Amino acid sequence: MTIEMDKYRDATVMRLSGEIDMYSSPGLRKELLSLVAERVSPLIVDFRGVSYIDSSGIATFVEGLKGMRSFGGRLKFVAVPEGIMEIFTFSKLDRVFEIYGSADEALSG
Amino acid sequence: MKDSVTITIPSHPGYLSMVRDVTARFGEIHNLSEAVIADLKLGVDEACSNVIKYAYRGATEGEIVITLRIMGKDLEVIIEDEGVRADPACIEGRNLDDVRPGGLGLHLIKRAFHVYEFDEGRRSGNRLRLVRHLR
Repeated sequence: MTIEMDKYRDATVMRLSGEIDMYSSPGLRKELLSLVAERVSPLIVDFRGVSYIDSSGIATFVEGLKGMRSFGGRLKFVAVPEGIMEIFTFSKLDRVFEIYGSADEALSG
Repeated sequence: MKDSVTITIPSHPGYLSMVRDVTARFGEIHNLSEAVIADLKLGVDEACSNVIKYAYRGATEGEIVITLRIMGKDLEVIIEDEGVRADPACIEGRNLDDVRPGGLGLHLIKRAFHVYEFDEGRRSGNRLRLVRHLR
């Protein structure tokens, strides 16, 4: 998995690619929680290049979301591939995560 | 052709991608749909992750033996380790409405497989049997 950080309008964008699993999620967790500690908001996570996510990756985002909410920050997901969306829906996290089609939609939502 | 494949990996998370690749390729060879293969990859990955976390408690020098085979109209996966014995009575996923980190892996395994059972007669380690009915 690779993580690239970017800026888009007023938001910070985390672009992810590759597979998020028990091996790669600790690196993601470290990056995400450091952004939470810096109170970076809104944070857009772009899933366009993500081909796989397991429960450890999902747990990382749940933890990140809770951290964001602790200071009123917003964590927004964009371009979530269908297979990953199915996992979010199955785990009922589609009701919890803010999910948009694009960064523009995320910033107007 | 004997319709089975066995791989042995160290109990290191870096090898999980190899398990997923083998599972996917096994599914492709047996003409399973992309959706079923995606479920199987995730289910087998989650089961092996649990072995690393709970049976070996994060130690990376253990061994995990994964066997995939076609048994008539079923795909059977056997996952064996020599780690700490699991107590099946204590294994449960969280309520999916209770949103918190963790507790999702078991749900994802049971989403992929119709049968999830430990061999309780085993003297040491664990032997988990997973079965997906294919038709």
